[in-house]
Amino acid sequence: MSRRVLAADDGLRIGVPVPISGAYAANGKYATMGAQMAAEVVSKASGKQVSTLDLDTEGKPAVAVRKVQDAMAQNGVKLFAGGILSSESLAMGKEVDRGQGVFMTTAGADEITGVDCNRATFRWSVPTYGAINQTVRPLINLLPNAKKWYTITPQYVFGEGLLKAAKDIFAEKGIQHVGNSYHSLTDKEFSGYLTNAMAAQPDVLLLLNFGSQSSDTLRQAISFGMKKRMAILVAWASGLEQFEALGADVCEGIYFGAQYWHTADTPFNRDIVPKVREKYGSSPNYSFVGSYICSKLLLDGAVKAGSTDGPAVAKALEGLSYEGPTGREEIRAADHQVIKDYYLLKGKAKSAMKDKDDFAEILSSGKSFLSPEQAGCKMPA
Amino acid sequence: MIYLFQILNGVGLGMLYFLLAVGLSVIFGLLQFVNFAHGAFYLLGAYLTYDLVSRGFDFWLAMPIATLIVAGLAALVEVLLLRRIYNLPHSFHILVTVGLALVVQEVTIILWGPLGGSVPAPDGLQGVVILGNFVYPEYRLFTIAFTAVLAGLLWWLLEGTRLGAIVRAGSESHSNMALLGYDTLRINTAVFGFGAGLAGLAGALAAPIRGVEPFMGAEALAIAFVVVVIGGMGSYTGALVAGILVGVIQSLMTTLWPEGARLMIYVAMALVIALRPRGLLGRA
Repeated sequence: MSRRVLAADDGLRIGVPVPISGAYAANGKYATMGAQMAAEVVSKASGKQVSTLDLDTEGKPAVAVRKVQDAMAQNGVKLFAGGILSSESLAMGKEVDRGQGVFMTTAGADEITGVDCNRATFRWSVPTYGAINQTVRPLINLLPNAKKWYTITPQYVFGEGLLKAAKDIFAEKGIQHVGNSYHSLTDKEFSGYLTNAMAAQPDVLLLLNFGSQSSDTLRQAISFGMKKRMAILVAWASGLEQFEALGADVCEGIYFGAQYWHTADTPFNRDIVPKVREKYGSSPNYSFVGSYICSKLLLDGAVKAGSTDGPAVAKALEGLSYEGPTGREEIRAADHQVIKDYYLLKGKAKSAMKDKDDFAEILSSGKSFLSPEQAGCKMPA
Repeated sequence: MIYLFQILNGVGLGMLYFLLAVGLSVIFGLLQFVNFAHGAFYLLGAYLTYDLVSRGFDFWLAMPIATLIVAGLAALVEVLLLRRIYNLPHSFHILVTVGLALVVQEVTIILWGPLGGSVPAPDGLQGVVILGNFVYPEYRLFTIAFTAVLAGLLWWLLEGTRLGAIVRAGSESHSNMALLGYDTLRINTAVFGFGAGLAGLAGALAAPIRGVEPFMGAEALAIAFVVVVIGGMGSYTGALVAGILVGVIQSLMTTLWPEGARLMIYVAMALVIALRPRGLLGRA
């Protein structure tokens, strides 16, 4: 655990449980930077001392829960912003609820604000249902002749959520789902799955995995010449950090779903993009902004409530409407889901990039959410 | 048809796995030393190739340079660190080499960042070969051919040359070799550098297929161990047979039972351990 203290005494303190080591460490690194910036902003605005406590979850639910328990018991932390993977977020949300704290995450599984919703847990990101509806639906409209789709899915709660939402749209739109390959969370070699996909001769390859796994799948799909034979959609991309790792040549012509994109014309972006560029030399990415907004909302909620006590902060956040990274955003009181835009991006050619971060253009954006009842959220009293 | 194609794909994977594992096997054969830093040398090979290609070097130049740097660094590590612990219990070998792997991984993150990157396939090998309904990347075909030639050369080096005879004799009895007047310290250094260099070469070859990311070494080490355990510790032919076997099992299973593709590699290893504890071609 590392602790960054902005001032001498203990004022507000927020735990940042994210993977700082392991396969999702890059996301975790930017998340800690985002939380730190939020702490600085809230400290300046409120005059309170704010500190962050980085907790390395290693992307493992058991480790995440232990770190959160320790932070609550030993450091008295009640506010938590983090959780990159759905599995760790589901586990941590329950633990923070037990400890009378409050937790805000960017993880995607519908259950987080659906059947497993609780008083302590909030989610900034659009869940899997919205991610699929804002990418698969517009792409079907964009490519009306693409009738055969193949999916590659990580076999855990997040992947299953994306797959179910995609299958529902396929059934509704008369799309032929010509096959699906499941893989484990530890796979790095996807050529066998891609061979299956090629045999099914789809018009669209839909990748439902995340982070380095979706990057590996995409790289290998391109090496198999699949970009020339079919459209490729990565339903849940990490955005800028992933595009930087992939490079413009790989991204060109690929469709990506994204929670955030720094060129979206929003008051938030007009304010934060120049600041981040000045401080870090590059535009803000999803991991940074996701953690920034989760931390800022929790800290603002604590300032407003005059307490870090979970139920008090939760009450301050419920129903809140604010200028967020994607424009006007609102925290739905019934299930603690933030109602916000999700983007469909398309990778640009290197020659079309206006600056080093200009990897993609926004094709469409919009809000798609199940109602709390449809998602199965029965908020405990 | 798809099974034939998966077998071809599996052979391609398997040849990379062989290259990754054979160095580990040769090092164990001569030094009786299990190198847990083997994945780190693979990681370094991939990252050095990535770095050189990013700086404008041609891949064909970057690949041998990266391999030689890894081999040189490994030889240096052997001289400065490892030769001091050969005679200590295996727990010390594990402690030092795992520590070394962690240091290499963290230095990689410090030098190149946590994000990873892509390495384009070299010019002339960026296309695909079309076989009926299937396509196969030219670069992957190149890696199969290149590794096959390399496997032949390695076999000749180990079985048909004086140098190979010395290495094989050393793996039988280190002390007798010393009595015959051979400089065993230098041979150890050379073999360790050579074995680690093969891991570096595997990393360089894999970079255009897998890209690079700081945690790729751990996965490579796991595969290398599986291959070496199945093939038999210290057995060159065992590494080749097991490498291809693991690649084909992994590839075929992605069609037969995708959820269990990775699991089946370990099931195969468990079966081999149960039936032949020293591996398919390990020495009794």
